[in-house]
Amino acid sequence: MILLRLISWPYARKHLLRSILTTAGIVLGVALFVGMHTANRSVLGAFNRTVDRIAGSTELQVSAGESGFDEEILERVQAQPEVRIAVPVIEAPVETGLKGQGNLLILAVDMTGDRGLRNYDFEGDDVIDDPLVFLAQPDSLIVSREFADRNGLRLQSKLSMSTMNGPRRFTIRGLMKTGGLASAFGGNLAIMDIYAAQQVFGRGRKFDRIDLAVKEGVTVEQCRAALEKLLGPGFEVGPPGSRGSQFESIVKVFSISSAMSSAFALFIGLFIIYNSFSIAVTERRKEIGILRALGATRGRIRNLFLSEGAAAGIFGSLAGLAAGVLIAKGLSRYVSGLLVDIYSVGERSDEITIDPGLLAWAFAIGVATSVLASFLPARSAARVDPVQALQKGRLQVLSAGENRIRRWLAVTLVAICAACLTLGGSRPVFYVGFFSVIVASLLFTPSLSLWMARALRPALQWMRPIEGALAADSLIQAPRRTSATVTALMMSLAMVIAFNGLAVASYDSIVEWLDSTFNPDLFVNTNRTLGARSFHFPAVIGEQLSAIDGIQTVQGVRTLRVTFRGTPILLVSADLRGIARHTVNPRAVAGDYREMHRLAGEGKGAVVAENLAMLHKLGLGSEVEIASPGGVLRLPVVGVLRDFSDQLGTIFIDTSVYLKYWNDDTVDIFRVYLKKSASAEIVKGRIQERFAGERRLFVLMNTEIKDYVIRLTDQWFAMTHVQTAVAVLVAILGIVNTLTVSIGDRRREIGVLRAVGALNAQVRHTIWMEALAVAFIGLVLGMLLGAVNLYYQLDIVQRDISGLVVAYRFPFMASLWLVPVMLASAFLAALWPGEAAVRSSLVEALEYE
Amino acid sequence: MKCARAKPGLLSSYLIDIAGVSKQFQGKRTVTALDSVTLRIERGDMVSIVGPSGSGKSTLLNLIGGLDRPSSGEIRIDGQAIAALSDDDLTRLRRDKIGFIFQFFNLLPSLNCIENVSLPLHLKGWPRKKVRERARQLLEMVQLGHRVDHLPDELSGGERQRVAIARALVFDAPILLADEPTGNLDSATGAEILGLIHDLHRNLGATIVIVTHDADVARSCIRTIALRDAKVVSDERRL
Ligand SMILES: Nc1ncnc2c1ncn2[C@@H]1O[C@H](COP(=O)(O)OP(=O)(O)O)[C@@H](O)[C@H]1O
Ligand SMILES: [Mg+2]
Repeated sequence: MILLRLISWPYARKHLLRSILTTAGIVLGVALFVGMHTANRSVLGAFNRTVDRIAGSTELQVSAGESGFDEEILERVQAQPEVRIAVPVIEAPVETGLKGQGNLLILAVDMTGDRGLRNYDFEGDDVIDDPLVFLAQPDSLIVSREFADRNGLRLQSKLSMSTMNGPRRFTIRGLMKTGGLASAFGGNLAIMDIYAAQQVFGRGRKFDRIDLAVKEGVTVEQCRAALEKLLGPGFEVGPPGSRGSQFESIVKVFSISSAMSSAFALFIGLFIIYNSFSIAVTERRKEIGILRALGATRGRIRNLFLSEGAAAGIFGSLAGLAAGVLIAKGLSRYVSGLLVDIYSVGERSDEITIDPGLLAWAFAIGVATSVLASFLPARSAARVDPVQALQKGRLQVLSAGENRIRRWLAVTLVAICAACLTLGGSRPVFYVGFFSVIVASLLFTPSLSLWMARALRPALQWMRPIEGALAADSLIQAPRRTSATVTALMMSLAMVIAFNGLAVASYDSIVEWLDSTFNPDLFVNTNRTLGARSFHFPAVIGEQLSAIDGIQTVQGVRTLRVTFRGTPILLVSADLRGIARHTVNPRAVAGDYREMHRLAGEGKGAVVAENLAMLHKLGLGSEVEIASPGGVLRLPVVGVLRDFSDQLGTIFIDTSVYLKYWNDDTVDIFRVYLKKSASAEIVKGRIQERFAGERRLFVLMNTEIKDYVIRLTDQWFAMTHVQTAVAVLVAILGIVNTLTVSIGDRRREIGVLRAVGALNAQVRHTIWMEALAVAFIGLVLGMLLGAVNLYYQLDIVQRDISGLVVAYRFPFMASLWLVPVMLASAFLAALWPGEAAVRSSLVEALEYE
Repeated sequence: MKCARAKPGLLSSYLIDIAGVSKQFQGKRTVTALDSVTLRIERGDMVSIVGPSGSGKSTLLNLIGGLDRPSSGEIRIDGQAIAALSDDDLTRLRRDKIGFIFQFFNLLPSLNCIENVSLPLHLKGWPRKKVRERARQLLEMVQLGHRVDHLPDELSGGERQRVAIARALVFDAPILLADEPTGNLDSATGAEILGLIHDLHRNLGATIVIVTHDADVARSCIRTIALRDAKVVSDERRL
């Protein structure tokens, strides 16, 4: 401790900028980790709070996934002796159309019984003393005081909403006091009569859920068991809190990608620290020698450097925690936005939930990374020989022996990797191969960057005889300094290239898929966007559409999220034979395209998306099993298709099968093909005219749908841009760090240069050239490793994350972009060190030894 | 060339004209390294500066060479007031008119002899071929024609100092400043280097200022200035 204060602190203070930059990777990694997880948890927390507030004294909830279930189920549940009270619920978010208000959560209940479970804390006189009055007026709405105030609404105010029967005006007949139930969904909550809601949302005679409380003397578990036995596997019976779990598995997808980003940043942070510490050890050899001569043991020296690592880790992690909490809010908005668009589960999360456990964990990871990074430098510090250290000269060269060992090890690892590739087969073998090739590239980097610097010297010298040669020499003479920065650059670029490669390849595959299957001329949807599924069309609209002049074919599609082997996947029911007829360039991953659609259309099988097949190891003939309100549906897989409808997987079944098991003939979207002569614009007008004031519907052109999907894809891959930004940042930090050290090491050299006549501009040039050369070497090696990394990442994503199979395609455009971006970053990074070099005192520099 | 150098300065007939120059170093405690020193050195003179360690010799030399600027007072080199010059103009003045020889040679370890000598020429933007010719010519002049491709590490101390001298002379600088040029050499090699400097004085007519500890070196110069506690305490001319 005393050493830390007397020896380390003055050094850190003297090299303040470098010390701060050193921890930047840790700051970034911890911040991303904390930020993204806090955002996820905030969204999840908000969801759970809403569930909780809405639950009231509900002890158990009965649901049948997204599809809802028939009214008669309620009677059966109510008749169960263990149940004290059971009430029906429909719950759905709708867009308010009010500026800046986003979604409004509609909680539709049966007022006659519901107050036995939920406490509606009405303001003033109890407006619905007589629930029958409320019932008798299906346009009644109760909103929270908060929502009313925000939008200037009062009792008897009218609120317009688009319902499945066209636009309707609702009257506010009650206000709930803020707090409790009224604070659910960020206060954007409205209560409606459940039978009115069936109309509004087009639910037919169905409920979403039953909320219930158990009789006295019966445990919740007993009641649950009894209900599960009564209702069968198609129903989920559980406490309200369990609703979070499905939401959680969706949010998890974000966690994985954010965890990757922060691991990436920490990994780079590790290199930056390793780099700085190795340099510090060389620079402080003399000091270490003196300490050793004065009786400090090797262990003491090692601990000194490890403590410095810990100190850097603590500082960086604390800064990271603070930054993470700061960015969490913005990120949580991003996550909620994506959730609404993709999964139609909306949640307003204005406050963020800070989890002390998460912070502690992030802190520990940050500190551990830093200590780990300082391990090797600490060891080499402990090995410093006091006698040698006190003699003059600097130890910067890599010993030939060390280099030979490195290279041999690298070659061996490459061989292992090649063996793993040819062996193929199991996942462990694959990962061993991946690991080998990464470690091999790390081992090769010092030699490669040295060779490249040597190769660059003539070119740089040709550009500027003195400045160029000195820039190259600076790199050649400090291989440790150079290779550590090159390594950090290489690794981050390799990741960026892999991410971009994934994005580009997925993008291309998605476009191909869109072109092949999304070819109807018009789509008729209940919403402006594709994701939201609060509203459903009654089946009859299909016939009404068919009757419109110019329309040739109408295909109804129903999509809902169901649980398959524990994960929420997408179930699509449609007229599969009809769809197959219209597909352009039909292509199947397994099975015959027409045949599978024929079989599935006859109810003899299911078609599954390739990602589902990958993730759950399904093949032709495997049996898929889905619990439905009408019993367990078991179908053999008759075909596998490349399909990007859902990240977690999609199963296609025929409308007839869906109707039979779910007893649901509602439709989410109609695919409309026009007669040859008809114009899409005109028919769109006719549809809107036909249903104006009568139905809620949105007619979308083919291009609108495609644009929408592409936009979603873009949003999804926004993460890629974050990673690119991180890489650029790393590049800047790494280069600033190297250059700061480099001009420190070369003070005398720069002094000599200025003494014999180098103008300020010439001094700057040599430093800029050094930066550009490092960036160039990093770029070349990064692209090489990136090409390899992409191969492995594609495989990992395919088999272990989302099952999406995309072809290998090197992201040439992105890579081309990286060249100017990285070189410009390097140049930016060199500006400050360049200035520092020309500002420093010449006399001191010349006396410097 | 000699002709160009003989051209008198605009305002002063002295090549080096120092008037009331002081230099303070700001640190935890302010150190006065030079205390209102006034000094004139004529063209073609050969001056030694002596004095105990810390008396301000190097500081004085650095100010003359434009490596540093005075805290107060005025310095004119060849008639030009350096206070009025920008950093880059000062650098140009130094490059074209002043050659430096340091105690620790200050060669760049990564460059070989000819590259080290070429350094100022390249910095001035001479064409490559001319640079090489000139550098080789100078290395031959200091008798290192056989060592052009060697790195400084591969040379003896005396050879390194000769490379440094060659570098100092590439532009035929009228002023040659040497800070303890023999301080890091054994006496025989030191004498050899001193001989070389005398040759330069004689043959090229350069104005030379040598900071030294060595009484023999001082004695070999025409004029000797002694510093003590930041002040000039004696200024003698030998015949
Ligand atoms: N860069 C500097 N910063 C602070 N003090 C300095 C600096 N350079 C020289 N000094 C101080 O100025 C005084 C004169 O130094 P110097 O000219 O190097 O003496 P000499 O060369 O005669 O030994 C000394 O006391 C020295 O400590
Ligand atoms: Mg001195």
